[in-house]
Amino acid sequence: MERRAPATSGSRAASGATLLAGKAVNPITILQTINPFTRLVRLLSSIRLAMALILGIALVVLVGTVVDQVPTVMRADPAAYARWLELERGKYGSWTELLQRLDLFNVFHSTLFRGLIALLAVSIMVCTMRRWRSVWALTFHTRIRMTETFLRHARFHDAMDASMPVAEAAEQVRRSLSRARYRVRTEADGESVAVFAEKNRFSRFGTFFTHLGLILVLVGAIAGGVWGFKDPQFVVAEGSTKDVGQGTNLAVRLDRFTADYYPDGRPKAYLSDMTVLKDGKVVKQGTVGVNSPLHYGGIAFHESYYGPAAVLKVQDSTGQVIFEGGVALNMKTQDGLRPEGSFELPEQNLSVYVIGPMTDQADSLVPPGEVRLDFYQNYVRVARPGNIVQGRPTPVGDMTFTFVREGAYTGMQVVKDPGVNLIWVAGGLMIVGMVMLFSLPPRRLWALCRAKADGSTEVLLGMQGQRDISLAGEFGKLRGRVAKALGREAGERVDEEGDEDV
Amino acid sequence: MFELSHYAFLAALGATGLAFCMAVVGALSGRRQLAFAGVGADVETSGMPATWGRYGSILAVNAFLFLTASLVLRGIAAGHAPFSNMYEFSLAFAWCALALGIFFERRYHFKTLALLVLPIALGLQVYATTVSDTIEPLVPALRNNLLLTVHVAMAILAYGAFTVAFAAGVLYMLQRKNGVKWLPKNSVLDEVGYKAVMVGFPMLALAILLGAVWAEIAWGTYWSWDPKETASLATWLIYGGYLHARVVRGWRGERSAWLLIGGFGAILFTYYGNLFLGGMHTYAG
Repeated sequence: MERRAPATSGSRAASGATLLAGKAVNPITILQTINPFTRLVRLLSSIRLAMALILGIALVVLVGTVVDQVPTVMRADPAAYARWLELERGKYGSWTELLQRLDLFNVFHSTLFRGLIALLAVSIMVCTMRRWRSVWALTFHTRIRMTETFLRHARFHDAMDASMPVAEAAEQVRRSLSRARYRVRTEADGESVAVFAEKNRFSRFGTFFTHLGLILVLVGAIAGGVWGFKDPQFVVAEGSTKDVGQGTNLAVRLDRFTADYYPDGRPKAYLSDMTVLKDGKVVKQGTVGVNSPLHYGGIAFHESYYGPAAVLKVQDSTGQVIFEGGVALNMKTQDGLRPEGSFELPEQNLSVYVIGPMTDQADSLVPPGEVRLDFYQNYVRVARPGNIVQGRPTPVGDMTFTFVREGAYTGMQVVKDPGVNLIWVAGGLMIVGMVMLFSLPPRRLWALCRAKADGSTEVLLGMQGQRDISLAGEFGKLRGRVAKALGREAGERVDEEGDEDV
Repeated sequence: MFELSHYAFLAALGATGLAFCMAVVGALSGRRQLAFAGVGADVETSGMPATWGRYGSILAVNAFLFLTASLVLRGIAAGHAPFSNMYEFSLAFAWCALALGIFFERRYHFKTLALLVLPIALGLQVYATTVSDTIEPLVPALRNNLLLTVHVAMAILAYGAFTVAFAAGVLYMLQRKNGVKWLPKNSVLDEVGYKAVMVGFPMLALAILLGAVWAEIAWGTYWSWDPKETASLATWLIYGGYLHARVVRGWRGERSAWLLIGGFGAILFTYYGNLFLGGMHTYAG
């Protein structure tokens, strides 16, 4: 970030005007001042803009957590979205219109939010690039010899005398700093030796790791959105196969579903034994559970929910099986009481709805051990609904329907996200960068050993950096070590910061 | 185990309450002493009179040990890290606030920090008494011992650190406005706040990252704009803002102290948000 907040646009404009009025000498300054690009760069790297963006994002987030957000499944489907909105109307009343207009029901995918994030990302990039050169210089091009003025006015400084020649004193200083795990370099001229000691100089690059990580998180998220897909309601019933779709030629067969319960009846684990087929050939088999997804070819299958299914068999007049498999009862009948599912018999142009018994109370319409069938052709009911009993083949028209057994279906989230590995790399970079920055602060100390007239040596020490207590403590420690090495332990108290109770 | 854990918790609750009383008495009598001593007294070294303050510190350490025992016993009883509902999480939060409070108190010889950290730890423990403390079986999504332990541990460490930063921020404002003599120097308060954020910030980042990893494994989405997720992201951004703002000279001191106070508001929102907002972090209690 820029060290100083830029002047307000008003005063900048004013200074630009004076410059143009001919008072400035350097034409480059004029260019820099009025160049809109430079201005933009300054604006983007200002701490005020970054803070404003962060506050703006925090505010949007607050709105997004307080106002109900439309579930992912309904977001893509306008009809479902409209139904969802109707439900919300009960809660928000006449405010619904306004909230909807402002996209506040879907605020994390709104242009406003995306714009704020994008601006913050650009701001971060600009700031980071602007810092690169100075960090590089601080790390690789440091002066070993500093002037006496600097050493006498550094934030932390000290001077001490050593009764030994310059070369020996410099060697003592070098050795004591080196023992404090500093990287020490010296530079001698005729009458003095300059010593420069530094530690953790590469920590400064932590800031680039962290910020690069932040940007890569966004890149990863965009990559996932562009080249990936997410099907949060991929339902397969036991004994049936379902195409994954989404441009893949994969299909999933659910071989067996098991649910495990705690003694009090709450679910402990649910597991789907499934087979992945590619162009009809088995390519992968495995068990999917919550917390243990199955991966195949960049696509992940995550256990999400489950429910009842009915395994049915349908034969035509010749006795040939035209349908056999599980039907997931993953919908509700219109009265919302019973689980319902459907399957197609394409040759007969029939949609068969399968209705299961109520689970929470005794059901007289659909008793346990039976399912109710309802037949539709082009959305028109073509036969009177009726029940069939488990294990008993029942003729319907010229076909025979058998309710083979009860089963279960599994609801999975099928995800392809090519950005996810980038997200992990980015997250790792951020953490590594932060640890570098915060736990290994860079330190720099300069010393100058000069001969005095009587043959002894004067040693000047100076340390620069942020004014903080740990730096003060570090300087105290180093000064103590140097003083000791120069034979000055007597009378010299090492200044340990925070010694007194406050 | 469960019973023992409960008794240890009650002991911790009592110790925290008493420690807080001691700290208050210590601060008040310390102030009176200063008034008697008049101007020119050695303000730097007096602060709280030794006795009350020391009793307070010892009690705070005891409270910390009792809470440690309570959490460990509960972990053994439950068979997993005690991080799975609001009761356990409140205890862990209080534990961490105490731990970091004690650490910073010793590191910076900063007894008055207890004046704010202790009531927060106390408040969390009192809150814990109002929620169900039964050990519930874990829902399938939570059945991942490693991630449950590390993800939540990072979050409470961050919360604890930000509590200390908040305490430093509030004391800074007090100091700034009134020139309170029994408080540490502004520079110390400013630095304690900064150091605490330096601990908390990467921890929160790690908590969010591990949460994303876990969500990816359990739900197939590393990010789903769940209220708790989003609120912790906003919290993290606020502290990120604080760290950057502090680099700019003008934002040191009062303004950054305000950010610490605001950041703690965000922490509380993150912490309690799921209670009234729902979302995928709504587990037992």
